[in-house]
Amino acid sequence: MAKDARDSWGSPMEFVLACVSYAVGLGNVWRFPYLCQMHGGGGFLIPYLIMLVLEGVPLFYLELAIGQKMRLGSIGAWTAISPYLGGVGLASVVTSLYLCLYYNIINAWSFWYLFHSFQSVLPWAVCPANSNLTGPLEECEKATPTQYFFYRETLNISPSIEENGGLHMGQALCFLLAWVITYLFIVRGIKSTGKVVYFTATFPYVVMLIYLIRGMTLHGALNGVKYMFTPKMEELANPTTWINAATQIFFSLGLGFGSLIAFASYNQYHNNFERQAIIVSFINSGTSIFSAIVTFSIYGFKATVNYETCLERYISFGTEAGAFPVSHLCLIFCLFQAVEGAGLAFIVYSEAIKNMPLSQLWSVLYFVMLLLLGMGSMLGNITAIITPLRDFKVVARISGVCLLCLLLGLGFTTTSGNYWFTMFNDYGATFSLLFVVLIEVIAVSYIYGIRRFEKDIEDMLGHRPNWYWKIMWAGVSPLLLICLFVFYVVNYIQGGTPTYQAWNKDLQTEYPVFGQAFIGLLLVSSVSCIPLTALYVFCQRKKHAQQHKQQLTVNTVAA
Amino acid sequence: MFYKIVLFLCLPSVLAEQLCKPNAPDGLKVRLSIKTALDSEAYEWNRNEKFLFQATIAFAMSQYTGQEFKVSNILVCDETPRVSFWFVVTSPANLSQLMSKGVVELAVRKFRNRINNAFLLSDETLEFVGVLPTLASPVEPATPPWLIVFGVMMSLVSAGIVFVLVSTVVQNKRKRKQKRDDQDDDEETRVKTVENGCDGVYNTSFSEDEPNTRM
Repeated sequence: MAKDARDSWGSPMEFVLACVSYAVGLGNVWRFPYLCQMHGGGGFLIPYLIMLVLEGVPLFYLELAIGQKMRLGSIGAWTAISPYLGGVGLASVVTSLYLCLYYNIINAWSFWYLFHSFQSVLPWAVCPANSNLTGPLEECEKATPTQYFFYRETLNISPSIEENGGLHMGQALCFLLAWVITYLFIVRGIKSTGKVVYFTATFPYVVMLIYLIRGMTLHGALNGVKYMFTPKMEELANPTTWINAATQIFFSLGLGFGSLIAFASYNQYHNNFERQAIIVSFINSGTSIFSAIVTFSIYGFKATVNYETCLERYISFGTEAGAFPVSHLCLIFCLFQAVEGAGLAFIVYSEAIKNMPLSQLWSVLYFVMLLLLGMGSMLGNITAIITPLRDFKVVARISGVCLLCLLLGLGFTTTSGNYWFTMFNDYGATFSLLFVVLIEVIAVSYIYGIRRFEKDIEDMLGHRPNWYWKIMWAGVSPLLLICLFVFYVVNYIQGGTPTYQAWNKDLQTEYPVFGQAFIGLLLVSSVSCIPLTALYVFCQRKKHAQQHKQQLTVNTVAA
Repeated sequence: MFYKIVLFLCLPSVLAEQLCKPNAPDGLKVRLSIKTALDSEAYEWNRNEKFLFQATIAFAMSQYTGQEFKVSNILVCDETPRVSFWFVVTSPANLSQLMSKGVVELAVRKFRNRINNAFLLSDETLEFVGVLPTLASPVEPATPPWLIVFGVMMSLVSAGIVFVLVSTVVQNKRKRKQKRDDQDDDEETRVKTVENGCDGVYNTSFSEDEPNTRM
C-alpha cells in the first residue's frame, strides 16, 4: 500500500499568494514608514533596495530551494542536509512558536477596534465623561482620546510589568475569535490555506489603493508625501541606516522561521521557484513603499490638522496676549513624532481616521486590512510549526497546537500583557533568527556544498543558478549577516539592562529580575537548540557505532 | 426734604453699583464669544440682549430655588465690548442681600442648556467663569454594540468549522466505504483464481492460512 502522498498546492499561484500573504504583513505598514522617516525620507530607499538585492532575494531563494527539494518541514529538511543540523530546524520551530503565541494578540486588537467601529460616534474620537459629568475623565484629558482608548479601554494597562490584574474579558474574547479563525483556515491543511490566501493576499491591496486615493485628497496630505520624498543624503553616511535597512529586509521577508521551507515543501518538484522568489521579494518591498506613501499622506493630513487647530486656538486668545508669532508656536505642536509599531497602527491611524468624514467606513476598511495582513502572516507561522510536527508524526491534531497557543497566549490579555508582548516582540525572534539564518547560509554553502546545491537546483529547475546567486550565498550574504549579528550583540551588551516604557512614566524603566531572566530564557531556548541537537546526534551516532562494532566482534567470534 | 427724596431715589442704583463689582465674592463673570460661535449670523450685544440674559438667569434662579426672581434682581456690571461682564443676584426678599455664589452656580448648571439655547451659544462660547459645564449623560445601550458584532462573527466562524469538520467526516466515511467495496472485489477475484487452479505467481502475502513457507 502506498503511503499517503504529500499534500500539495492547488496551483503554483496559491503558493505565490501564500508567500506574498505571509511576507506582506504588519511590518510593511508599521515599521517601514517609521524607518523612512527616521533615516531621511526618500534616501532610505537606496540602502533598502541594495540590501534587498544583496541579502533579501538570495536568502529567500535559498529557503524555497531547500523546502522544495527536501519536501519536508524545517526540521526534516535540515536533518536531510546534515544530521547534525536538525537543530536549525528545531530552533526555527521554537521561534515560530514564540511568534505564534504573541502575534495573534495584534489580530485580537484589530478585531476589538473593528467591532467598535460599528458605532455612530467612534469611541476613540471623544473622551468619556467623568462620574460627575462635569468634564472629560482626567486620565483622558492628560493624554488624547485615542491614546486613552488604546491604553485604558483596549489594554487596560497596569502601571508596570510587576503589577498584574486579571484578564481583560473583551480582549480574551477577541483573542479566542482570532484563534478560532486561524484554526478554520488551517484545519484542512494546505487545501484550505490555499483557498484562503486568495483573499488575504489581495484584499489588503484594494484597501491600500482606496486609502491612497482618499489620503491624497486629504487636506495637507501632499506636505507629508513631500517630506517623505525629500531625501536627506547625509543619513546615508550613518551606519545605523544601513543596518536598519538590512534588518528590515530580513524580518520583512520572514526568513528563518521555517514558514518558507514549509510552504515550498508542498510544491511540485519542478516548480519554478526562482522566478517566484524574485517576484515575491519585489512585491514585498513594493508594498512597503506603497504603504509608506499612504502613511505619509495620512501623517501630512494629521500634522496639518493639528497645526490649524493650534492656530485657531491661539488666534482666539491672540488679541488678549498680543500679536506674537503664533505660527511658530503651532509648528512646534504639529511636528509629528516618529511612531512605530502598535502605536502607529492603533493610535496615529485611528486619530487620523476620526477626522475624516464617514469615519466609520474608513475605520472598518482599515482594520479589516490590518486583520487580513495579520492573519496572512499568522498562517505562515502556524504552518511552520505544524509541518515539521506532522512530518515526524509527533502531533497529528492541529487543534492541540492551537489550543495550547491559545491558553498560553491568554497571558497577553492581562493588564500587564502589553509589557510581555513588547518583551516577546523585541527579544523573542530578532536575535535567534539572525543566528539561525546565518547558520543556514553557511551550512548550505559550505557544509552541504554549493556544488551539490547547484546540482539539486538543476534537477528541479532544469538550469543551474547564475554566478550572481552563488556569490551571494557563499560570500556576500554570510558576511552581511555576520555584521548584523555582531552589531546586535554589541548593541545588546552596550545597552545594559533591558528597559521598557511603563505607563505614565516618562523614562524607560528597567525590567525586574524575573523579566530579565525571561528575556534570557527566550534568547537561549531557541539558539541553544542548534548546538544541543548537534551534540545529541553526535552521541547517538557514537552509541550506534559502538553497538555496530560490538556486533561485528560477536560475529567474528561466532564464525 | 428734596435732598432726602433724591437720595432715596439714587439709593438703589448706588447700592446696585456697590453690590455688583468685578471680583465680587458672590459675583460670576460671564464671557460670550458670539462671533466665534455664529460667525456671519452674529448678533449685536445691546441692552435688549442684556435684558434677555437677566431674564434667563431670573428664570433659572426661580426654577431652582422656588423663590420668585425678577429681572431687577439680576445686577450686571463691568461690561466690556468684547462681551464679558459680571453679574450678581440679589435676594427677592431683601434687595441689599446677595444670593450666595454656590446657589447661583448650581442654578446655572442645572439650566445651562436652556440658557445656552436662548443665545444660540454653547458651553464653550457662553462661558460662566468657574462654573463647570454639565455634559450630557452618556447613552449606554443594554448590550455594548461591539459584543453584538463579535457574536455574529463568532457564530459564522463556528458554523464554518462545524461545516468543514462534518464534510471531512462524511468524506472519510465515503472513502472507507469505497475501500471496503474494493476489498470485497479483491477477495472475489482471489477466490476465483484458487478455484481455477491457475499457475499464476502465488503471492504468499495474500494467503492467510499458511503464514510459514513449507520447507
